[in-house]
Amino acid sequence: MSKTIKIDPVTRIEGHARILLDCDDAGNVNEANFCVNELRGFERILVGMEAVTMPQVTARICGVCPTAHHLVAAKALDNAAGVEPPPAAKLLREFMYMGHYIHSHSLSLFVLAGPDLVFGLDGNLATQNIVGMVEADPDLSKKGLRLRSLGQKINETIGGRGIHPVTAVAGGISFSLSDGQFKRLQELTGEAVELVSELAGKTKTLLFNLLDKNPVLLDKLNSESWYLGTVQGGKLNVYDGGLRAMDNSGATQPEFPATAYKDMMSERAVKNSYAKEVYLNMNGGEQMYRVGPLARINVADSMETPLAQQEFEKFKNDFGTPCHNAVLQMYAKLIELVYCCEKANEIINHPDLRGETRVPADFKGSRGIAHIEAPRGTLIHEYDIDDRGIIRAANMIIATQQNTAAINHSLKEGANNLLAETGDETLLNGLEFVVRCYDPCLACSTHAIGRMALDVEITRKGQTIRRVRRK
Amino acid sequence: MSGDKVRLNTEWLCDCGGCHVAIVDLHEKILQVVENIEIQKCPVLTDVKDYPEADVGILTGSIRTEHDRHAAEEMRKKCKTIIAFGTCAVYGGLHGAGLAHTSEEIMDYVYKTTPTTKTDFIPDSDITGLEHVVTPIDEVIDVDLYLPGCPPHAHFIFESLSALVEGRTPKAGQDTVCAGCKRTMKKTEVAEIVNSQDGIAEDDVCFLSQGYICLGSVTLDRCLAPCPNHGIMCTGCAGPTMQILSEPNHDIRTEVSERMARLTKIDKDTIISHMEKSAKTHYAYAMATKMIGNKPTFLIQQWIADVEAGK
Repeated sequence: MSKTIKIDPVTRIEGHARILLDCDDAGNVNEANFCVNELRGFERILVGMEAVTMPQVTARICGVCPTAHHLVAAKALDNAAGVEPPPAAKLLREFMYMGHYIHSHSLSLFVLAGPDLVFGLDGNLATQNIVGMVEADPDLSKKGLRLRSLGQKINETIGGRGIHPVTAVAGGISFSLSDGQFKRLQELTGEAVELVSELAGKTKTLLFNLLDKNPVLLDKLNSESWYLGTVQGGKLNVYDGGLRAMDNSGATQPEFPATAYKDMMSERAVKNSYAKEVYLNMNGGEQMYRVGPLARINVADSMETPLAQQEFEKFKNDFGTPCHNAVLQMYAKLIELVYCCEKANEIINHPDLRGETRVPADFKGSRGIAHIEAPRGTLIHEYDIDDRGIIRAANMIIATQQNTAAINHSLKEGANNLLAETGDETLLNGLEFVVRCYDPCLACSTHAIGRMALDVEITRKGQTIRRVRRK
Repeated sequence: MSGDKVRLNTEWLCDCGGCHVAIVDLHEKILQVVENIEIQKCPVLTDVKDYPEADVGILTGSIRTEHDRHAAEEMRKKCKTIIAFGTCAVYGGLHGAGLAHTSEEIMDYVYKTTPTTKTDFIPDSDITGLEHVVTPIDEVIDVDLYLPGCPPHAHFIFESLSALVEGRTPKAGQDTVCAGCKRTMKKTEVAEIVNSQDGIAEDDVCFLSQGYICLGSVTLDRCLAPCPNHGIMCTGCAGPTMQILSEPNHDIRTEVSERMARLTKIDKDTIISHMEKSAKTHYAYAMATKMIGNKPTFLIQQWIADVEAGK
């Protein structure tokens, strides 16, 4: 290890992070590390708080996916109390979640990755952002932003707030829809379904253009790994279902419930990052795996809604199972975006939506475990609750954390290909692009969206021999 | 680059990112804002890497690492007006509850105690050091305007940005969350505190009247009261009212207990004792600020330690 390249920090992802590359004398990358610089320590902070506030408190772990934490916390309290929320409550929670997914996937596709799609990887940095994108492609940008708004408004109408929603409680949902709220949801959902069918084709075209222009991405980003996602009757589900793992050859493993997670998963701290790595304990070893849209599409047999199913079939036909290519995460996300709009439209027309929303739920002196598919992957919460209703112990497995090992692996491959062939700027953009394909959210795994100074430091035997800064 | 536009920098310190999403959540109104504001540095939206000179600087999040401290200082140097935006920036925020623990305690728990962690060491090399406690930004740099809220409601964000564009002082009401709550306060015969898990409250009567602890009356309204209007007690996420901040002998538990004791048959001391036993919940968002932490009535670390020791 004689040369270290630091990229500090990676921008346009949710978080403060940087990349460290350790090279040998020949310039080959021995080890790549995606480093997370922030830690808030929620698992410890939650201890001593009233369990009843967990859905609100844990939402604050992440302003980018608060609804995932909010809902999984409520599900963990249901589990501790041993109750099933009534049908209307389940529908409302899932509806709120579809709103959140529409917001989160639109933000990711149109705001964070959008500039790469519109301008390519060698675009002018000064305009390679959402403002430049609005000027270059106003139709796509405005519709993409509008779709995000619609999702967030659905989330807000059911959750009470868009960011850090409040209405999911142990045993259900804390209120019933008024006629006015119901009508508003009908309008928001209708518009979302219309918009997504317009946007899907265009976004897909841009993505495939990008891949055509950068064949290296499609050829070289095929790191093999296992996958983990959630299915219900074999169909992709983000709110509830069984956890299904798939090995790197595409063989699925028996589904397991969240309550078995401690046997199935191992966390490992790493020296130079606050984010721990997670492995699946399967086939007699610790398996590196990925979660998130690509993982979910890989492990699912089919989709629940018609348009999403069409896209799903195209995806499977073109890229097979499992698809290891990290760049196609964006396509997977697009399929899920279509699914969420269609699913929201199904729920608004469901006859049970306006029924009873809450049952009593006493979780004192109990332990609750639940999972949900956060936009970026499987999320697990566990609480140990005492006789007064106070949290005594808490544990969480976060989506981005589970991808850390795979991100490092992809970075190593990407860097080895890019280092030899290209100049600094393309290397930097290329590595950032690799990381953004995984769409890591560091607010969750510890902290911060960021596009800041990019700093590459190349050292040999402890001495800096070269430094490249991008302003 | 237009000369008359207000130049804006934003930066994100230790927080969840929700405050930046809240700015995007101005939805259609964001176009009105962008007409008059030139967004220079802004995580998520632009690629500006350093800190350009600006008229307004929005800082979200609190100080947790050396990086956060440095970023706050750079923003102060380059921005004429600094807004502490969101509860983390103003009061330390929810992770300010880390105040009750040392960094070592938090690290030990996260990296050595959690059941799924198989390693037994704490990451140390080549990452930014954690500071000992979480610090609200005005203890590090001078702040010109405060906009608490977790996150602040779009209504207040739009008003403050519009005011800055128009060169006037933002209208910032001193109402409590109760002002926007549709529930009715009334005297009741309720004789015991009800924990949320032990009952489901009526929809239109004040939570305090029904025996549930709600912080609406001691919390500044920067949210338009979504919680009590959706069946949820206020948890104080926008931080305390001026009355509580400015009066040494008033605090969250003394105020809530007085009001609740008047509305019900529950004894004031019973309520105070109950709130001390769940101090980590009731002081969660603002315990890191000296305005709360230095009160003569304030023994939060003791209360939390007692609860954890099973007292």
